[in-house]
Amino acid sequence: MKSDGVIEDYAIGGAMAVLFYAEPTRTYDLDVFVLLPRSEGTIVVLTPVYAWLEARGFEPRAEHVIIHGVPVQLIPAYNDLVEAAVTESRVLDYEDVSVQVTPPEHLIAIALQTGGGKRRERAFQLLETADIDRGVLVDLLSRFRIQAPWSGDE
Amino acid sequence: MSDRVRPTEDRIAALFRAKAEWHRLQARAPLREKVRILLELQRQDYPLLKRHRRLEWWEEPWIIEP
Repeated sequence: MKSDGVIEDYAIGGAMAVLFYAEPTRTYDLDVFVLLPRSEGTIVVLTPVYAWLEARGFEPRAEHVIIHGVPVQLIPAYNDLVEAAVTESRVLDYEDVSVQVTPPEHLIAIALQTGGGKRRERAFQLLETADIDRGVLVDLLSRFRIQAPWSGDE
Repeated sequence: MSDRVRPTEDRIAALFRAKAEWHRLQARAPLREKVRILLELQRQDYPLLKRHRRLEWWEEPWIIEP
């Protein structure tokens, strides 16, 4: 997809990205943040992405595309933090396949920025069990003006 | 106030340390093993969730191998 210019870059996000760094949590789909090629318009168009996938036999279904039995949701980078998650993604290995994955510090920042109990829980889960670079995390939170839930305790 | 015998603070601290260690080990399990656990969680959850609400099509367990 990248080499065909359909997307500029990508990174696995959400609970499947958490899986690379922490304990497994329930999820039913695979989130992929994508950077789309720059265009003149202001409206995000995913049509070329879906066309590329359909041409390869991957069936779109509502907001997902079924790829080898897994519902995948392609999410265009919707703010600067998510864009940074893609451009600063880590290249990791799954069964000898290289995949780009959102770094754990970015996952925490996104979870806190998005809010909600489930995501807050995810942020704490990563903080407690994953190898988190606290300096990187603090820098990210400050860069994107995200209030850490623990900052009031300090 | 209950007159039950309670574990000492040290014992409770040791239990929580062991629990935290177990979670850390789970977090460091090979990715393939984590995917296997995820698939198992999906399979276990499905009938329970289905009993409580109508599930979306994408909430079905994945029919894949880790």
